[in-house]
Amino acid sequence: MAPPVPLLSATSVTKAYAGVPALSGASLVVAPGEIHALMGENGAGKSTLIKILAGVVAPDTAEIAVNGERVSIDSTKAAYRLGLRFIHQEFNVVPTLSVAENIFMGRRYPRRAGLFVDWVKLNREAQRALDRLGIDHINPSQNLGTLSLGDQMLVRISAALLDDAKLYVMDEPTAALTRDESERLFRVLREIRASGSSVLYVSHRLDEIMALCDKATVLRDGRSIDSGSMADITHDDLVSMMIGRKVEEAYPKPQSQPREATVFAASGLATPGLKPVSLSLREGEVLGIAGLSGSGQSELIRAIFGDAKLTAGTMTLAGAPYTPSSPAAAWQSGVAYVPRERRAEGLVMRRPIFENITLAHLTRQSRAGIWLTPNREKRFAAELGANMRLKVVGPQQDVLELSGGNQQKVVFAKAVAGNPRLLLLEEPTRGVDVGAKFDIYSIVRELTAGGAAVILVSSDLPELIGISTRIAVMRQGEITTVVDAAGLREDDLINLCYGRPTGMVA
Amino acid sequence: MQLFIRRYGTLIGFVAILVFFSAMLPGTFPTAKNWLNITQQVSMLMVVAAGMTVVMVMGDFDLSVGSAASLAGIVAALMMAAGQPIWASVAVALLVGLLGGAFNGVMVSLVGILPFIATLATMTMFSGLAFVVSGGKTISGRAIPEDFGNFARGGIPLGEWGGVAISLPNLSIIAVVVVLAVWVLLEQTTYGRRLYAIGGNMEAAHLSGIAVKRLRLIAFSLTGLAAAAGGLMYASRVASANPVQGSGLMLNAIAAVFLGTTMSRHGEPRILATVVGVIVLGVLDNGLTQMSVDSYVRQVLVGALILLAVAASSVTQGRR
Repeated sequence: MAPPVPLLSATSVTKAYAGVPALSGASLVVAPGEIHALMGENGAGKSTLIKILAGVVAPDTAEIAVNGERVSIDSTKAAYRLGLRFIHQEFNVVPTLSVAENIFMGRRYPRRAGLFVDWVKLNREAQRALDRLGIDHINPSQNLGTLSLGDQMLVRISAALLDDAKLYVMDEPTAALTRDESERLFRVLREIRASGSSVLYVSHRLDEIMALCDKATVLRDGRSIDSGSMADITHDDLVSMMIGRKVEEAYPKPQSQPREATVFAASGLATPGLKPVSLSLREGEVLGIAGLSGSGQSELIRAIFGDAKLTAGTMTLAGAPYTPSSPAAAWQSGVAYVPRERRAEGLVMRRPIFENITLAHLTRQSRAGIWLTPNREKRFAAELGANMRLKVVGPQQDVLELSGGNQQKVVFAKAVAGNPRLLLLEEPTRGVDVGAKFDIYSIVRELTAGGAAVILVSSDLPELIGISTRIAVMRQGEITTVVDAAGLREDDLINLCYGRPTGMVA
Repeated sequence: MQLFIRRYGTLIGFVAILVFFSAMLPGTFPTAKNWLNITQQVSMLMVVAAGMTVVMVMGDFDLSVGSAASLAGIVAALMMAAGQPIWASVAVALLVGLLGGAFNGVMVSLVGILPFIATLATMTMFSGLAFVVSGGKTISGRAIPEDFGNFARGGIPLGEWGGVAISLPNLSIIAVVVVLAVWVLLEQTTYGRRLYAIGGNMEAAHLSGIAVKRLRLIAFSLTGLAAAAGGLMYASRVASANPVQGSGLMLNAIAAVFLGTTMSRHGEPRILATVVGVIVLGVLDNGLTQMSVDSYVRQVLVGALILLAVAASSVTQGRR
């Protein structure tokens, strides 16, 4: 039997930006009825390839065929006509319009008498689109802005599913989704596969890819590697394909055991979104915080970082009372913070690397706290960057030009630049490739070996288990349990997050 | 090539304007006397625009600078008319500007009103105040001490050039000093670095321990102070004060900063770029006046030029 005609085949794709190759002869072949993963470290060429398929970027050379017919995708319209749909990381949605209006954006609204928008019908059709994803908790007439990020993503996806397409390209669709929401999405993707359409699935989450996808194309340095059937390869095989070398460990081992001395303690800490929480951390300890999204993790972190009004509770840092009135006070006391959204909260994108790193430490990184000393700052930033394997042209490069992993390293460099006693991390490796992840974990290990304590909020359970000493589980604004991370199983942790009984012996 | 046009388009246009005027007005335009004259003509605008640059670095702006300038001029003139010494009158007028700016800062950073709304409101408030305290009259003539008016007419003699005695006007010197001060503040101090961070990403700046509210308040105060200084220079130059004489400064100051932003890497305001923006506006005004172009036609031309410069830089800045 001849092999089936591929749904999409893009071969010999090359593209260079200002002489720097992004893709050099990469191929991607997606069969009909297939969930196909597209993987690679940041900067490997994934986004360039997707932009070429979307008609946003013109390739230098490429042979693209859809259902065996040569095509050229010279505009986003052409891509649309070929039945390709793109669901991007940065969602283009209008938060002030309703869910239904967002779903129908760019389409013809149903009308009455050819003139007036038929709102009843609009909402009904939107509901049907949501139903298809099994979403029953979103009202089509409510404003999109009132939904969680995860729900907004689901709305975007349901909009893309509205008309039947041949290939759905999804770029990190689960980055902002909870586990439940992701599972719902995966169900829909499997339905799509069953109906004969295909999905090109871009993600850094290997576990998801292993569970969901049939095949993978791995990009490395602008070239592609065909993984073959996913059933025949292991997690580690995929990682080696991505980084081009064997990996021994996903998580570096702690360099030392936590010590006895307490670094940080909070007692009865409460804010409007946080029920009284008590916790304490020893030197060298990593306390993981698990929980469904919105269980009070961010509120806890913001309270410790001086960015929320406390309604009750006291804190101590290194034995002394700690009462931060602002993030500025927190930094001064030796508390550092890596926020959840690096672009929105962590970085000034259009400023150089060194300015971003010293931003929280300008009082010390200057003469008399007033006069800038850019050369000293640059040297300082370059040293710090080399230490965390920051791959950049130099400290004066704008953060905007860096890949996601390197941007996150800049956020980390800012956090560790003041030798913090307590480091607060929220989703520290979201959207970061495998190699950079390892580097970031190594930074955490180095800090704790020096006696610092770390609070790690993450929705990545393997990461929580792999990095933490203990894990506190939060539910509805309070800590319900604290467990040792060593030997903890993922499904036990999930059950704890949902407040279900576990098979664990307490 | 696109990048080149974006970064240097305004400068190229400026050079073209210089060449044009020099060709059309060979006897009067490219002379030292005329150029020193231009520096004096633009000195008020330069000071106000320098102050405007400080808030625009944070992504804010201040519509009240024109009214604040008028108010400061009126306050000083009234005090001098009442027999107060010049230094005290000037000091109080500058203080009025500083406090007016601080009031803007409180509204914007502590109360949280959008700068557009807050300074639109204070613009009419300051203007109304200037009318109230002056009774709507122009204060001039003998009420103004001669020394005050003489200051603007004075300067440091530079000797002769082509048989004409020339001097560096006092007002130009003040403008240079203010520009230098703002340059040091924005480019050499941690304060300036933090303002640029606020302008780039206010949330990241806050989470990096920058006292965003306090810094914004200070920035608006400085802008108010510069506006008052500009108003005093104007009053000195015409040896009189009326409640509307600063009104033209606001739009021109914002225009000058915008012209400047077309020359920076990411479209952020830079003080030296603002200086170029001010000089472009001043040279156009000077040249067109000398060519006896009608002042209304001049307005149309200047407006079109600003649109052209900003459009050229945003069109080439990546479409989609």
